[in-house]
Amino acid sequence: MSFGWLPTFVEMPPSRNKMRARIQRIVGRLLMLAAVCLLGGLLSASLVLFSPGYGVDERELDPRLNQASVEAIRNSHRLNSGLPSYYGHYLAGVLRGDFGSSQWLERPISSLIKERFPVTAKSVLFGVSLAWLVALAISFAGVFFRGLYFDISTTLLSGVFIALPAAVIAIFCVYLRAPVFVAIAVATFPKLFRYLRNLLNHAYSQPYILAARARGISPTRILLHHVFPLTSPALFALLGVSLAVAFGSAIPIEALCDSPGVGQLAWQAALNRDLPLIMNLTLLVMLITVAANMLANIAHERAL
Amino acid sequence: MNARGLRVISAVVLCAIFAVGLFAGTVSPYPYAKQFRERPNAAPSSTHLLGTDSLGRDLFARLIYGTRVSLLLAPAAALVAALLAGILGGFAGLVGGWCEKSILAATDLSMALPLLFVLLALRALLPLDLSPVLSVISTFTLLGLLGWPSSLRVVLAATKGLRNSDFLLLARATGCSRWRMIVNHLLPNLRPVLFAQFWISIPVFVLAEATLSMLGLGVIEPLPSWGNLLRGLEDISAVSANPWRLAPLVLLILVVICFQMILPAKEETA
Repeated sequence: MSFGWLPTFVEMPPSRNKMRARIQRIVGRLLMLAAVCLLGGLLSASLVLFSPGYGVDERELDPRLNQASVEAIRNSHRLNSGLPSYYGHYLAGVLRGDFGSSQWLERPISSLIKERFPVTAKSVLFGVSLAWLVALAISFAGVFFRGLYFDISTTLLSGVFIALPAAVIAIFCVYLRAPVFVAIAVATFPKLFRYLRNLLNHAYSQPYILAARARGISPTRILLHHVFPLTSPALFALLGVSLAVAFGSAIPIEALCDSPGVGQLAWQAALNRDLPLIMNLTLLVMLITVAANMLANIAHERAL
Repeated sequence: MNARGLRVISAVVLCAIFAVGLFAGTVSPYPYAKQFRERPNAAPSSTHLLGTDSLGRDLFARLIYGTRVSLLLAPAAALVAALLAGILGGFAGLVGGWCEKSILAATDLSMALPLLFVLLALRALLPLDLSPVLSVISTFTLLGLLGWPSSLRVVLAATKGLRNSDFLLLARATGCSRWRMIVNHLLPNLRPVLFAQFWISIPVFVLAEATLSMLGLGVIEPLPSWGNLLRGLEDISAVSANPWRLAPLVLLILVVICFQMILPAKEETA
């Protein structure tokens, strides 16, 4: 049977319809991101507004203030008393880059995020990169140098790491004076490694890849032309998941390693019941992970 | 030793640890909050098998009671999460259309959020001076209510597979009512999937509780849990001098590894 028509079909330039469909998908995803922003903002605003103790201002107890000042403070709270009004004010503020003020630190949340976010972003990026490097290296070593002892030792290693709470990893990192990104990598690695190993084992056991190996095709060519197209959807999805895992583990790690990032700020905000701050931080992390997933999906479509 | 043998050993170890947690009152030599004020930071001895903490409380007793809290409430939270995933995933898979799309979008959104951030945000809504019992209930309830998204995708995929199956088509063709189809045909076939998701969630919740309690936002003292027992590791110099303080960590690792061993590889990758 001849498949002579297949290369011609594959090499055809994308038609106008295909381009339109791709643009539609990207616009759809951007709209989805906007909807997530609005929905997340509404949820955060509702949680802050209906939390116990919201609207109670300690300044009202200050004996130096006269009745008119106390009334002015009370009126400023009443202005935003309903959810639509509160949410409207919140959205208008966000559009101006004003996320409100931290109740605990009494500082603008935007300036706190500006200070702290680069620290976490750096740790998470380095940590995720290191985790991917190590997980890929061990998974490929497992595929090419398959052996019982190697399998048992790597399974045991990842099993022990996966059983360690991120906070315990942070304590060991403090003890060993390791940087924060190493702790994030250790927390992210086992989850990545298990999926990567299973994915690669599955891919390399496919009959057509076995046939390609038997015909002496180079490992690089097999990887790029046969394994990557097969595993790319899962790999791109895993990229987004690994970012979410890394951000999640950043809270205990930064809190215990005393790293001045967003994770530590979220922990301190939770301890001090600073709801506006913690809700804005949660919203920020949600947006980053949703955007990362979206980019991963777009990159995956381009790769196909 | 083959995989089946390892699974049997893991199950036996887990059953033994569960039994110790369940009968903590009988197994433990002392109540978890009893102080021996004359013996703070004592080394292991015949009276205190794992020594005492800085407040003079018996660490072995606290470990056993902590096992009860962590290991009996994590399955309860996992049950809540599996039930939520089953109801929502089953409903979305059966009905399809915009209902499936909206539930899937909500799931994707929840999965994009790091669990710990949401837990921290919701825990911050509650007062910090909760009673210890309420802190346990709120921690595990939050875990149960937030842990369903990853299970839902698996249940949804399984339900969609079943929806298009021949036996359901036949049941529909013979005039079987929707309720009867769900109870007699769908649920028995979804049971293995739900059971696997339930097992997968337990170690995840045990670890999440440990992290929250280590950060001071989970189970509150004097009630012990593995998380607040692990707070003892923060003083690393005391741990290197008294290595038996690693006992809660060793137990935690053992339990999580046993759970992983019990799960077949197929469910793990699902």
